Amino acid sequence: MGAHHKVSVDKEERYEFTAAAKKRILTWMGVGIVMTVIGIAMLALGIGEGKHEAAGAGHGAATHASATENHSTANAHSEANGTKTEAHTGAEHADVKADAHGATAHAEAGHATDAHAEKGHAAAAEHGGGHHEFHWTTRLWADLWHNAVFFTGIAIIGVFFVAVQYLAYAGWSAGIKRVPEAFGMFLPIGAGIMLVVFGLGHHDLFHWTHEGITDPTAANYDKIIAGKSWYLNLPFYLTRMVAFFGLWMLYYSIIRKNSLAEDLEGGTARWKKLVYFSSGFIVIFAVSSSMAAWDWVMSIDPHWFSTLFGWYTFASWHVSGLACITLTVILLKERGYLKHVNMSTVHDLGKFMFAFSVFWAYLWTSQFLLYYYANIPEEVIYYIERRDGFDGKYTALFFLNVIINFAFPFLFLMTRDSKRQIIFLKIAAIAILAGHWLDFYLMIMPGVTKGNSGFGFLEFGLVLTFVCLFIYVISNTLSKQRLTAINHPMLEESLHHDI
Amino acid sequence: MSATTSTNYLVGVFEDDDVLMNAVRKVREQGVKIYECFTPFPIHGMEDAMGIKRSRLPRAAFMFGATGTTFAITMITLMMGFDWPMNIGGKPFAAPPVYIPVTFELTVLFAALGMVGTFLVVSGLGPGSNKLVLDPRFSDDKFIMAIDLGSNKNLDPAKITELLKSLGASEVNTKEVSE
Amino acid sequence: MSHVTSSVREPLVTGGKTIKDITNDVCRQVEGKPTTAWMIAFAVALLVLAYGCYNLYLTWWVGLGKWGLNKTVGWAWDITNFVWWVGIGHAGTLISAILLLFRQKWRTSINRAAEAMTIFAVLCAASFILMHMGRPWLANWALPFGNTYGSLWVNFNSPLVWDVFAISTYFTVSVVFWFIGLIPDLATIRDRAQNPVSKTVYGILAFGWNGSQKDWGRYEAVSLILAGLSTPLVLSVHTIVSMDFATSLIPGWHTTIFPPYFVAGAIFSGFAMVLTLMLITRKVFKLEDYITLAHIESMNKVILLTGSIVGVAYITEFFMAAYSGVAYERYAFINRAFGPYWWAYWSMMTCNVISPQFFWFRSMRRNITVTFILSIIVNIGMWFERFVIIVTSLHRDYLPSSWAYFTATSTDIGDYLFSFGFFFTLFLLFAKFLPVINMAEVKAIVKSSSEPTAHKPATVVGAVSGSEANHSPDINKQ
Repeated sequence: MGAHHKVSVDKEERYEFTAAAKKRILTWMGVGIVMTVIGIAMLALGIGEGKHEAAGAGHGAATHASATENHSTANAHSEANGTKTEAHTGAEHADVKADAHGATAHAEAGHATDAHAEKGHAAAAEHGGGHHEFHWTTRLWADLWHNAVFFTGIAIIGVFFVAVQYLAYAGWSAGIKRVPEAFGMFLPIGAGIMLVVFGLGHHDLFHWTHEGITDPTAANYDKIIAGKSWYLNLPFYLTRMVAFFGLWMLYYSIIRKNSLAEDLEGGTARWKKLVYFSSGFIVIFAVSSSMAAWDWVMSIDPHWFSTLFGWYTFASWHVSGLACITLTVILLKERGYLKHVNMSTVHDLGKFMFAFSVFWAYLWTSQFLLYYYANIPEEVIYYIERRDGFDGKYTALFFLNVIINFAFPFLFLMTRDSKRQIIFLKIAAIAILAGHWLDFYLMIMPGVTKGNSGFGFLEFGLVLTFVCLFIYVISNTLSKQRLTAINHPMLEESLHHDI
Repeated sequence: MSATTSTNYLVGVFEDDDVLMNAVRKVREQGVKIYECFTPFPIHGMEDAMGIKRSRLPRAAFMFGATGTTFAITMITLMMGFDWPMNIGGKPFAAPPVYIPVTFELTVLFAALGMVGTFLVVSGLGPGSNKLVLDPRFSDDKFIMAIDLGSNKNLDPAKITELLKSLGASEVNTKEVSE
Repeated sequence: MSHVTSSVREPLVTGGKTIKDITNDVCRQVEGKPTTAWMIAFAVALLVLAYGCYNLYLTWWVGLGKWGLNKTVGWAWDITNFVWWVGIGHAGTLISAILLLFRQKWRTSINRAAEAMTIFAVLCAASFILMHMGRPWLANWALPFGNTYGSLWVNFNSPLVWDVFAISTYFTVSVVFWFIGLIPDLATIRDRAQNPVSKTVYGILAFGWNGSQKDWGRYEAVSLILAGLSTPLVLSVHTIVSMDFATSLIPGWHTTIFPPYFVAGAIFSGFAMVLTLMLITRKVFKLEDYITLAHIESMNKVILLTGSIVGVAYITEFFMAAYSGVAYERYAFINRAFGPYWWAYWSMMTCNVISPQFFWFRSMRRNITVTFILSIIVNIGMWFERFVIIVTSLHRDYLPSSWAYFTATSTDIGDYLFSFGFFFTLFLLFAKFLPVINMAEVKAIVKSSSEPTAHKPATVVGAVSGSEANHSPDINKQ
């Protein structure tokens, strides 16, 4: 069936980025910036210091309530067995020093591998020694870094998605290809922000950048970090960062150029080239995405390591990117664009969000379960900090992370009908984006700000600013070229996509 | 024609799935009730054309799966937490992270077996089952449309035959099946 | 499934086959007498199985002392073979489930044989579990049954217990999935059968299938959900196998990348085994029009992809060992590459990481001889991978005084041969008595993915214009 009923494509369709829309986005961005400035001012003047929960207005109450609730769960846990209680009591003291000690105590009581326990001791001592008094700018840099990493991730996933479609000879997605393709335009902006933030705030963000930390004679000498200085040193780190961004943008520009040329030339020559360049990009991305995750996120906790971390971060970026693609396609359709994209294609995007939420949960569980199981102090400290550490500051978020990123999309998107209802998909996509923003929050904040992060004007203002900036860049890119790759050899297949 | 013990079918034989689907639509438009179509492979869009409701087996699968989840969690909690608690690696007796693998496996096992069992029962399939085969070529390369003449009493069989032929049937046979 | 197919796609069925040709070509070997080649192969398989059974008898009668295990290396070939076979047993479900979800039409010609291979490979894997128990008559102790010790249950904290659940669930669901797929084809054989014995036997197996649309509707729903269930299931199986190692504290085993990396390795070796078998099957059964170069190329691409993922994982492990600063971790990896088992490590690296890189070239992907050789090399490499992970991590533990070297005995080798005899016996029986290609699924794609030929049935054109008339192009339909 369906072979020859014609589906017409508006060949010249472009997204019209009206002056009113621009104004609206810029206004909101202004609001975001103002909020950020207020947030900064409040922090600088010490308003709301020490009562971050209250600063979060309405939010604060909710967070607090669930935090308390989770606390009691944690306590109930520890009562179930003697050895564990010790670790928990340790963790309940506010600062990281006590936390690490708790873990060590646990290690001694809990399992008998002397070597590991000793190591834990050493780690704890050194960590304590290298700890500084908290300054509010750290929180600002952490927030900026967090948003920059998250949104840059979505941008590169757009390019990744396009490349994967070419490599897999995917037909269904040809009609929406320009949407993820537009995401790549955010790369230079993300790169710029990250380089600036790193340049100005690396001292606050990355403990390993401190002077003297690799110098055996210095007071803050850290043996473990010194052992990593072959990899974690400023010149090499910056080279990597520049190289990753350079390669990503290079491949993006090649893919974009060929894709646009195809619109004018037709034929399959460009498509073949795109398959070729996509395979090159995938090879580079396979290595660089993992290394970027180690550099940008994992090295925030410089003692900690996990072989899965690169793929875990990728999974988080990937599902965020898919949610963002889905949301953009839906919003465009709602505004009357992309009429030729049928519900089967949207359904497939919903399936992708569903499947990769499960995939993220799979990797989250793999990493958590293995460290929970082995209970080696220098490994498990990562989860102790996040689940129980800093007076239970992150406990609620820790559990919320799994609920919003796994349980919710899993149950919500399970049925066929939910993946074919615009409103369901919208809710799911927004929840996934918020959820994975939170996932990155949990990866970055406890490491950088310890117990001094928060949700105030600064955080909400910055998110608003980044969201508006991202929307502006994507809308602007979409308005510049055709919304559909009209000469894509698979376009006809995607128009008749029917499941 | 014996009245109650046998049924008469008009069996249209088609050579192509698209031809059959088009014929199904047209025949139904003419008010003819189709008994069933028998085809060598599933034809996409046929359920809509024949007016068959979407299967509710997914719901059955979900219910079976949920049963599996509950069963697994209950079993592990009772065994590890209450019946014979053991201190293993200093972990709580019944530690939720430990549940994940077995709970997942049992969920899948229950969902798969339950759903397939339901499918076989609902469809009347099983060893020894002999469902009505009006034309054995259905399993080779023919697309069979069967019309129960008993439920189309108001229509003239000759007219239906003619209609089927005009819609592309290569042969139209009558078949009497005694029950 | 729309009939619109882009011109850049290669045909998946060549030679201008009609639906009837598919039935005839696939049923031919089921209905005919066994060929001489089959008889010889079967005799060899039985011979190997017999030798394997003798070794199995020794293993159980004399005890595990017949193996080369020592006080330090308590797991060697047994678990290596187990993981290797389970890994191979991933391809079938991957092809039939994950590729179904991704709507890869090329899976239709290979999924039947791949699934059969999966089931047999899982059986081989399970046989090593029974072997390494030493006392297989107590295998029920691995299950949570109440018993005479006052209901001492299994330890649900143990990944080995998870394994029991994972492997048995995987086996059960794979068999069900495979059998559901067989039902329509068994009906075809039933309806064609000439002698009463086949008619009865295939009739019972066909479950009374009559191809009605209601049944097809449910059948498709069931297939799709089984695929949806099998996809996480197949990932979970090798994940849990990897956790047998990764939940421990042994350097080289305890690493978080193991779950996805084991899964990628499993797909890698499974596809290689499917290729090895399918290249022979297509030749012997003359199925070149159904298992085309396009199929082989697609599978080689999957091998290249998963091989490279495995390569990235090796590098990641090495990097993290260095980066972590943990002395034991570092030593484990240096010992792997340059210790007494250096030969195993470099065999693994060569076979798994370097050899698939040939598939970057289209001419290599489409060369049957190269593909056949590489498919075997990949499986040799994957065997070495498991051996390297298991034995090199164990043989030098925390106490240098207990360092040891493992050497395989003839019983180790004989037990491994047992699994080959078992596997090929089952596979040859399958290839003879059941259709090796899923006829119903290939029939469904033949119109959209067949090679364009001059004598395409003219009726199609008429039908299409007919359907156009009453099918409004409502692209936003729900």
